[in-house]
Amino acid sequence: MTSEIILSIENLKTYFFTKKGIVRAVDNISFDIRKGEILCIVGESGSGKTVTALSILRLVESPGKIIEGKIILDEDNLLELSPHKMQDVRGNKIAMVFQDPHSALNPIFTIGDQVSEAISAHKSCNKEDASSQATQLLELVGIPLAKERYHDYPHQFSGGMKQRVVIAMALACHPRVLIADEPATALDLTVQAQILDLFLELRARFEMSIIYITHDLGVVSEIADSIVVMYAGRIMEKGGSRDVLGNPVHPYTKGLMGCLPSEKGIIIPIPGTIPGLINPPAGCIFHPRCVNALDICRMERPPMTKITDEHYVSCFLGGVNG
Amino acid sequence: MKLAAYYLERLKGNKTAIIGLAFIIFLVLTALIGPFFTVSPTQVNFSEKNLPPIGFSSEQSEYSAKVGGLVMTNMHGTWKHPLGTDGMGRDLLSQLISGARVSLLVGLLATGLAIVIGAIIGVSSAYFGGIADSILMRFTDIMITFPFLLLLILIVYMFGSSLALIILSIGLTGWTGTARLVRSETLSLRTRDFVIASKALGASDLRIIFYHLLPNTISSIIVLATLSIPGAILAEAALSFIGLGDPQVASWGNILNAGQNDLQAAWWIAVEPGIMLFFTVISFNFLGEGLRDAFDPKGDYN
Repeated sequence: MTSEIILSIENLKTYFFTKKGIVRAVDNISFDIRKGEILCIVGESGSGKTVTALSILRLVESPGKIIEGKIILDEDNLLELSPHKMQDVRGNKIAMVFQDPHSALNPIFTIGDQVSEAISAHKSCNKEDASSQATQLLELVGIPLAKERYHDYPHQFSGGMKQRVVIAMALACHPRVLIADEPATALDLTVQAQILDLFLELRARFEMSIIYITHDLGVVSEIADSIVVMYAGRIMEKGGSRDVLGNPVHPYTKGLMGCLPSEKGIIIPIPGTIPGLINPPAGCIFHPRCVNALDICRMERPPMTKITDEHYVSCFLGGVNG
Repeated sequence: MKLAAYYLERLKGNKTAIIGLAFIIFLVLTALIGPFFTVSPTQVNFSEKNLPPIGFSSEQSEYSAKVGGLVMTNMHGTWKHPLGTDGMGRDLLSQLISGARVSLLVGLLATGLAIVIGAIIGVSSAYFGGIADSILMRFTDIMITFPFLLLLILIVYMFGSSLALIILSIGLTGWTGTARLVRSETLSLRTRDFVIASKALGASDLRIIFYHLLPNTISSIIVLATLSIPGAILAEAALSFIGLGDPQVASWGNILNAGQNDLQAAWWIAVEPGIMLFFTVISFNFLGEGLRDAFDPKGDYN
């Protein structure tokens, strides 16, 4: 992995200012994504994966706010762009696919209409051009009989086909980064596999970088080039797919791996639940659930420690296999 | 439009709605082509005053030169004036047709204006939220507190009573219901995934409003519009009835107003526009309710 870095997130903090207090949904995270790379963000529900994605697109809604950090794409800090320029980045340079394909399409327009609408949002082209491009896109994402199905409504499609349509819309302007927020979670296992294949194919074809958000380590092991493990709004461990999965260092990553059925069929769950983010535990945010917690874990926030050039961990036990 | 065909199919199952629609179509056609076949509604002919409709007869006192005083004669309806004439001998059929034009014009234009204003205020209030929402909705609340008819009377009293002004003032005061409806629907729509997804693909606010939000509220808007047309028609009739209508046009309210003085001698002058108003209003209500059922996804297909 030596290709150029396309998108770089530095010290991003997104907080939600609720009446009960400040929720640190994303708390000081940094990671890079390279050209043509599939980066998986892994974590349980509520670990800040989706907020990270929405922050990159600057779509965090009130009471949420991006407090500080940099999101650098093509030497521009996205957080400093004018709203108008940011609107141009969305769809054109970074696009996003959402979790539930059933609600991600407008029920009252045909799918062809919606794909060509996505095209004409950025390119000024006439209706026929847009519609022929839309048909091509639908073929590209594997909608059979794209020309005939162009005039069908979303409710006439299965979940997997709808997700293909949503992906076609995201591809409309050939973005350089595609953020996919659990795009296969709402689908059948067999359809999931097809959608994963589609992402791999798109990456190979367009050299697109994909940020793939999931909680499914099985999916991660299949497609990830690099992995970011998130817990309670912070990054626990990040690095190349082989490093993180083959040599997990952080107790949380190990815990996640323990949740996969082993060869003997044994599942070892992580005890406890994710902490409330309004009054998070002091020190390492994972220490209440950590079997190896030391005194220092309760006092200080562990820094990102380098293990190899591509592998970092936020743990005082870094590198110590305990 | 496959969707339109689908909803029409559902509407067909509703008999009252179809009856309402049929009457409205009949009324529109009559208003459009009727004036080419009838005499002018303003043509005065005192020798034919207070003629009853066909099939009716009435006793009328008439000045007779022979007797040198009033005599009572029994008048019968004639085919020349199938619905009778008023106190100046003007043909009531052509007056009613002219009145249909006025009522439909007022109903459609005033409601159209109210819907456009209400939809824009409602959708921007909900979409932009925050301070914009507070200001727009408090303004709507203030508008609602004014008694509708009194406000109309005030406007007409201050600025005169041309038909255009009446339409304008009904439209400018009648948008509050639409604004609230569209706002509430938009509030739930704007958090739907397809709106957020569209934002994530770089759609502008206008594009989201006109492509995603408004089209998804259109079924409610159509129902509300159909149900508010009678209100606008009745408002114009009420204004005309109390003498604040446009004196230049023969609207149903004007005829009613003129007929109330002659109720004993010529009951038909007031009754006929009343019947027309009744059927028009009830037809729009039937149609509106039929549309509401047709658009209701929970409604039975049959």
